[in-house]
Amino acid sequence: MTVRIRTLDELLTPPAAGSSELSTQEYFVNMGPQHPIAHGSLRLVIRLDGETVKEVIPVPGFVHRGIEKMCEKITPRQVIHLTDRLDYFSAIMNNWGVAKLVEKAAGIETNGRIETIRTIMAELQRIQSHMLWWGVLGMDLGAFTAFLYAFRDREIISELFEETIGARLTMNYVRPGGVMFDIFPDFPAKVRKLLGYLGPIMDEYDTLLSGNVILQERLRNIGVLDPKRAVALGCTGPVLRGSGVPMDLRKTAPYGRYGDVEFNVAIGTMGDCWDRYYVRMEEIRQSLRIIEQLVDGIPEGPVNVIKASARITIPEGTYYDQIETARGILGIMLVSDGKSPNPYRIHFRSPNFNNMWAVTAIAPGWRIADIISIQSSLDLVIPEIDR
Amino acid sequence: MGRVDFSDVKHETRAFAGVTVPVSVVPRFKRQTYPTRFLFSLKSLIDGMRLTFGYLVRPSKVVTRQYPENRATLKFPERYRASLKFKFDENGYQHCNGCGSCERACPNGSIILNTRKGEITGRNEIERYIWRMDSCVLCNACVEACAFGALEMSHEFENAVYDRRLLVYTLNRYAGPTANVLLKEENLEARAAMMTKLDTYGGPVPMNGHALPTVRALGSPRDEAKPDGKGAAS
Repeated sequence: MTVRIRTLDELLTPPAAGSSELSTQEYFVNMGPQHPIAHGSLRLVIRLDGETVKEVIPVPGFVHRGIEKMCEKITPRQVIHLTDRLDYFSAIMNNWGVAKLVEKAAGIETNGRIETIRTIMAELQRIQSHMLWWGVLGMDLGAFTAFLYAFRDREIISELFEETIGARLTMNYVRPGGVMFDIFPDFPAKVRKLLGYLGPIMDEYDTLLSGNVILQERLRNIGVLDPKRAVALGCTGPVLRGSGVPMDLRKTAPYGRYGDVEFNVAIGTMGDCWDRYYVRMEEIRQSLRIIEQLVDGIPEGPVNVIKASARITIPEGTYYDQIETARGILGIMLVSDGKSPNPYRIHFRSPNFNNMWAVTAIAPGWRIADIISIQSSLDLVIPEIDR
Repeated sequence: MGRVDFSDVKHETRAFAGVTVPVSVVPRFKRQTYPTRFLFSLKSLIDGMRLTFGYLVRPSKVVTRQYPENRATLKFPERYRASLKFKFDENGYQHCNGCGSCERACPNGSIILNTRKGEITGRNEIERYIWRMDSCVLCNACVEACAFGALEMSHEFENAVYDRRLLVYTLNRYAGPTANVLLKEENLEARAAMMTKLDTYGGPVPMNGHALPTVRALGSPRDEAKPDGKGAAS
């Protein structure tokens, strides 16, 4: 198989009119960099024939901050705060990814309490992230009410984070060898109350948005991503699971306390926007199930096995570890020279970057309005794509 | 019940990547013919509207918070991170001895620490503790790294100013030794001799007399009308 590499200039040259009678002169539309569906700054160059999408060319890079390069000048403990800013809706999972990698590389053993707190927090963050996505999807498709409902319930989780961690978005919570703060004694009770509240709320969400015929018509059978294509594009997370591939690191390579709890991996059957939509709704329910099993028996013990100011020197070599964030697999590769505490090189394999290219595979053939549904169902966070 | 039965989640197991994965297959659409489909569609819209209308007529469910009207009653959690400040004891003495572990822990150089040799004590002590809020990300690494409990995160979150130079603060109120050293000295005058008073904007860092095209300089005559003359940051 040969791969033809085309430059952006080449792509943007208008081709001649199509051969069919109905086809017209093709033209380009820029969706973004400032567009409500981008949820950030992503430019989609769309080649259109009438209203039919012929090709989508994503042009990322508007929010590039050089995070990987910045990581070379700071210690692993300080890298954590930058991972908050990759995918800010999966801040705790991103933190945990780096912490897990450093612990593996430097041989730091954590205890049950640390892992339980991390797992509960990560699942709360997953629920919070999916709730925001749910509201924003509704807003993208014209249902503003859903956005407010999602924020009302997301606020409860945000407040829990605010109380325990002190921040709502960029938390910098999980660090190599532990977590930054211990939970308060009333934390389990608050989480139980939250679970009792969120269970019925999910049915409300189904009534409000999932059951709505307008939303269903805009998601059903739109943007089908077949499993082979999804795997070939490197899609992960709900995008891949929506296509029916039960790939979930929490099951296939359990970390934290995921090996001890019972939960199902939500998968779709067809790989259309509806499957990707409902996979996330089902994931919220499964996350509630995970938290429910863990919250009653948080083991005793210290929440830090090493001091915060301890110098962690990673032995020379290349290390890789990955973690399931709310949007897929975040892989972190770290090269250490063994002398400096700073990493020699860090690379993030971000789930959103690969998920973004799915739009090139699934959008052609659909109408321009379906791009909104497809982009919303992919749930992209642009700062992670650009890093 | 609409076109999709949301309780119809199939629980199965799939073999994947060498492990048996329990899966939940999400519900799909039922085939419906024209009149049924129309009625179900109409019902789905009415259901959603009934839900929102239900909230409209139940004011007890309102969650909106009226900021800034509720400023007086606004409560923050204990760990809420909004800005960095020094901890002072009841005498107004600080605990920072200028060891610099916060400076090293800071991921982006938002903390700059100047130390001096104390003239009376002969020890290393803090001269000026500069905190650049304009680059600070409030990651709490400095508070975590401080072994002497000299720093804490405060809840003062209304930090908006017109000039980012106003976000460069001097955190210590005096240049001098820590509370421990000061309290050993019984004589109050001798204590005062060890300390040099500082204010939030002083020395080379802040805008003292540096005007911008749209912002007048601090300390310029028009500022005297204000009680503190320091804008929003005092």
